[in-house]
Amino acid sequence: MIDLAHVCLELGRPILNNVSLQVPEGCLYGLVGPGASGKSVLLKVITGLLSPQAGSVRVFEQEVLGLPEHELFELRRKIGMQFQNNALFDFMTVAQNVAFPLRRLFDLDETEIEDRVSERLAAVGLPGFETRFPSGLSGGQKKRVAVARATIGEAKLVIYDEPAAGLDPVSSQKVFELLRREQQRSGTTVVMVSSDIERLLSVTDRVGMMLAGELVFEGTTAQAKASKHPHVHQFINGLAEGPL
Amino acid sequence: MKAPTGTLGQMGAGALGLLGGGARLLQVFRKTLYFSLNGSPQPGEVAKYMYIIGNQSLVFLSVVMGFIGMIVVYQGGIQLLRVIPDMSQLGSTYLELLVKDLAATICALMLATRVGAGIAAEVGSMVVTEQVDALRMCSADPIDYLIRPRFLASLAMTVVLVVIAGAIAAITGMLTAQVFFNVRPSTFLDFSQVDFEDVVLGLTKALAYGAAIPVISGYCGLSAHGGSQGVGSATTRAVVSSSLAIIILDFVLTTAALLLFG
Repeated sequence: MIDLAHVCLELGRPILNNVSLQVPEGCLYGLVGPGASGKSVLLKVITGLLSPQAGSVRVFEQEVLGLPEHELFELRRKIGMQFQNNALFDFMTVAQNVAFPLRRLFDLDETEIEDRVSERLAAVGLPGFETRFPSGLSGGQKKRVAVARATIGEAKLVIYDEPAAGLDPVSSQKVFELLRREQQRSGTTVVMVSSDIERLLSVTDRVGMMLAGELVFEGTTAQAKASKHPHVHQFINGLAEGPL
Repeated sequence: MKAPTGTLGQMGAGALGLLGGGARLLQVFRKTLYFSLNGSPQPGEVAKYMYIIGNQSLVFLSVVMGFIGMIVVYQGGIQLLRVIPDMSQLGSTYLELLVKDLAATICALMLATRVGAGIAAEVGSMVVTEQVDALRMCSADPIDYLIRPRFLASLAMTVVLVVIAGAIAAITGMLTAQVFFNVRPSTFLDFSQVDFEDVVLGLTKALAYGAAIPVISGYCGLSAHGGSQGVGSATTRAVVSSSLAIIILDFVLTTAALLLFG
């Protein structure tokens, strides 16, 4: 599904250094690592929002690098993304935000769009929020609207960047359960970045750890938990003492 | 890539950066023109921005051009009195200057501060909050979705605003001439020196400025990075670059008109 090989990216300074990563179809993949280690940048590389200077990025058996803009748009029809800052359009209502991918990517009539928006908002626990604006929502509600927008197109690949950042433990747990439920329901491939390691590891199949732009660990969730790699061990277990 | 060292290296890097910026700006302009003809339908968006750019700038521009009219006629009259005590040419000379240059250029400089800053801040804050990336993920080109409606609205409303504000400057100039120099309105409103070429030049300038402001400001907004500081910096660059572009366009179009019409 996703195959990255020797990806290097500089944005004024080195951000990604020789990153190689494979995500199999139907997998829920967790990407962890300290702040500014290149996780969010890697997600944008996968979607073609950022182009690395070297390496290969294959998504759905298609090389993303060098794709013309219209082919990138075609590729992104199959990808849903929830951004770190939610990226809700502040001049649109909740319903307009959630419906935006449907209006842009699919040729559906208005009734069907409205039905699917209502169904999605109900699924994320926000029924009746259609006419509200993002500015009037709490942090958790914004996250859930962003999740609804990322999943409404029933994309084959869904990417979540910090879906529970800044949420209280209860809201955070609800978001993770929702994402797991969504993934099991649709069988989509999911790549998720989160700093909430405990909850993330409770839902992932495989885990990769980034450190200073490099992928220092890649394996199953059980392997990650049992890893003796000093950085991985310290980070996964949240220890104060260690090389980090 | 290693950062250039030494004065020459830094000058070279600066020149390359400037050239790269110019090339990217041209690309934004080219794509804006392309999407103006082939863009996706966004019902009501152009009308919305026509209201924001046109209606909401009208009072500001009317006040500015009203005062500009008074100042130019008053200062012009004083200078004229020193040379020849004949005020009969004051109106015709002022009106020619107003139609050919003053109305379009002053209006555009004011629009660059109001409209240009607004566009750069709006687009820039969408960039730093990842809303532009979210647009791209939904197959919406930010130039089509964000810049095109503002471009079309600015193109139309800059011409309308220049005509209205120019008329106000003519009226305030006329009143100033009457009050300070006893020039009768019928003498002042002498359009004998304003010919068809002057009108064409004035309207061409209005169109060119109307195109330049949203494209330059949109480009500055799209190249914003970082947080609120990045948005602030993009807004400043938008106002400075738009103003500079207006002055350069003024020079180029005036020279071209001189070569074409004599």
